Amino acid sequence: MSEKKAPFFVGYMGVPKALKSFLLKVSLLLFAGFTAGAVLAGASQDDPGQAGFRFDYGRQTLTGVLEANPYPLLYVTQGNDRVKAGHTMMLSGQGKTPIMANLAALEGNEVEISGVILKRGELDMLQVAGGKKGIKDLSKEGTIPASEPLGKWKLQGEICDGKCLAGAMNPGRGLAHKACANLCLLADIPPVFVSSQPVEGKEFLLVADPDGGPFPREMYNYVGQFLELETEIERRGDLLVLRIDPDKIKAIE
Amino acid sequence: MNEAQALFFAFQIWCSIGAIIALIFLTIGIDRIDEDAQGAYVFRILLVPAILLIWPLVLWRWFILETKRDAWPNRHSPPRHAHFWVAIIFALAIPSIIVMGLVVRQTWPVNFEPQKLSLLEVQIQ
Amino acid sequence: MSVKYISVQWNSNKWKYNAIMLASVFTYLWIFIFVTPDIMSNEGRINGQVHNARAFGSCAFLMLSVILCIGPLARLDKRFLPLLYNRRHFGVMTMFVGITHAGYILNWYFAFSPSNKYEALLFSNTSYGQLSGFPFEVFGILALFCLTILAATSHDFWLKFLTPRIWKRIHYLIYAAYISVVAHVSLGILQDQQNHAFTVLFIVSALVVAVLHLLAAIHERKHGDPFPNNSDNWVEVCDVSELREGFAKITQLTQKERVAVFMHEGKLSAISNACAHQNGPLGEGKIIRCLVTCPWHGFQYDVTNGSSPAPFTEKVPTYNLKLEGSSVLVDRNANAPGTFVEPLVLQTTGAAT
Repeated sequence: MSEKKAPFFVGYMGVPKALKSFLLKVSLLLFAGFTAGAVLAGASQDDPGQAGFRFDYGRQTLTGVLEANPYPLLYVTQGNDRVKAGHTMMLSGQGKTPIMANLAALEGNEVEISGVILKRGELDMLQVAGGKKGIKDLSKEGTIPASEPLGKWKLQGEICDGKCLAGAMNPGRGLAHKACANLCLLADIPPVFVSSQPVEGKEFLLVADPDGGPFPREMYNYVGQFLELETEIERRGDLLVLRIDPDKIKAIE
Repeated sequence: MNEAQALFFAFQIWCSIGAIIALIFLTIGIDRIDEDAQGAYVFRILLVPAILLIWPLVLWRWFILETKRDAWPNRHSPPRHAHFWVAIIFALAIPSIIVMGLVVRQTWPVNFEPQKLSLLEVQIQ
Repeated sequence: MSVKYISVQWNSNKWKYNAIMLASVFTYLWIFIFVTPDIMSNEGRINGQVHNARAFGSCAFLMLSVILCIGPLARLDKRFLPLLYNRRHFGVMTMFVGITHAGYILNWYFAFSPSNKYEALLFSNTSYGQLSGFPFEVFGILALFCLTILAATSHDFWLKFLTPRIWKRIHYLIYAAYISVVAHVSLGILQDQQNHAFTVLFIVSALVVAVLHLLAAIHERKHGDPFPNNSDNWVEVCDVSELREGFAKITQLTQKERVAVFMHEGKLSAISNACAHQNGPLGEGKIIRCLVTCPWHGFQYDVTNGSSPAPFTEKVPTYNLKLEGSSVLVDRNANAPGTFVEPLVLQTTGAAT
């Protein structure tokens, strides 16, 4: 048997001559495999697209009317160079800190809000600064714009958390990001539906429950999946809001 | 959320018990059951993580060795027979899981155009 | 070989092994983390934490795949046995790379929240009733638990304390760990990736691991140690003519117990096939300088009494032998480890006891 003559490796002795070139080849192959693997895996990552915190804008201060249902929204009445009056700005707390408790009492009031903007294309959100600097109650009742019904639509797309999607995290959508998105949604961060193609000119729609309340916890199962849904859509300011119907939603095959 | 807290708490309790057992085993027990460990101290720190995780097994083995119940034939009977089936199941599980992952994978509906349903209803009427 | 657990007993082969392993791993991480961001022509930049998490995660997966290939490769071709020698260091390193991956994820996706990040990891996604969108993180947690237990019990103390049999059973967890990692990737990043380069790398690596295990299992069935089907006290091992000086013939006595019959200086001796260290197959080793040497880690035994030479203290059971005609028979009742048995002298005429 040729095996009897095969070189025999003992760890604490020298490597048998007959094995040296073999082991060298294996080592080089291992090294080459790891090198090629790194280039292949590292350089082929998907493009998360242009999005992020716009620290370059500096801190933004906006005045407007606050609405807290289904999610914190500011109907901007006095804008600035970056944000025009008439825009509906979605709001979030710092990181994944809920802010609804601070805002609910101010519903319908005129407020001055300051913070940093996140932006992905036409989608934007304001991360409200912490403490008293963030929200200033102007003690004046404002007018929440009337919502304009746009009828019932059939859409395909994905439910994300609006903040990561707007650039808090890059990438900020998909199933690998689902747990993060859920944790954001639990922190009152507005969920956003990304439509396959624009609806009435908008690619991103705020998601509410059938009664216009917050996105229900039991529907978190759908976050990150590609969905088909039939839904009522309404316009609030320049923001589209869809009312998700649990019976009219399914994952795409 | 309560389940998550309970699980994390249970894990902390588990490791805390392990820490107490590690302290006792590494200061008293190990010298009694393994003569190779006598006089060797630095390596004991390396044993702590395992004791935190598998302390019930440590207690059981300590008991076996302490009570001289350790039968030598057990030390020379590796579970090699099981390996065949383990390898087969392992080799079949890998492609099955990957196929399952590929099957449930979705494709972004890039060409789907939003349809206004209520308008269609009006037209039909 | 350990006399005392005073320090890790390094030798030049271990240094070389670790150097090659670390060079491969560090090169992988360095290229992934520092070189590829400039190669990509993406419009947006992936967050550093996610980029690093992917670097460490994919690296841990590749390392685990390589580690899992070593066993079956060594079964199929003995030239791979040296890779087995220091595999435990490779495994421990994999655990650290895996933990770093988990750290980046925990401190990114599950940070910035008033909730405890470990609890958030468990409660954020609870879609256990579906495959698409399943909380694939739990597979990562499971894999990391397995790897941590394996790494934590990798010291030789655990082999001796738990016995190789229990230690091996625990270390079967490597299979659970790898299956978990495959599920972690399949239900995680595989669902999202639009560029399929990593998908291909992942599938090819995992299939190589699966196929090698299948081949090794079939090889073991075909060419494994014979298992004579009789319940007599004396079990036939082989014909005298099949034995070669310095090597052994192995026979299974039970499903767990194997005996190795060696020819040394023209005389026959039988010891347990299972090395006292990690139950490596002594019968697949050979006699070097009058000592049976284990093919896995080089533990050595005197073939006549199954004892390691001083100062080492390892002992394996010995067996009694007899000849019937030209057949070598072994007594299935093992002698206690370290028992001297007079080697069986072969007589030119044939029959002898």
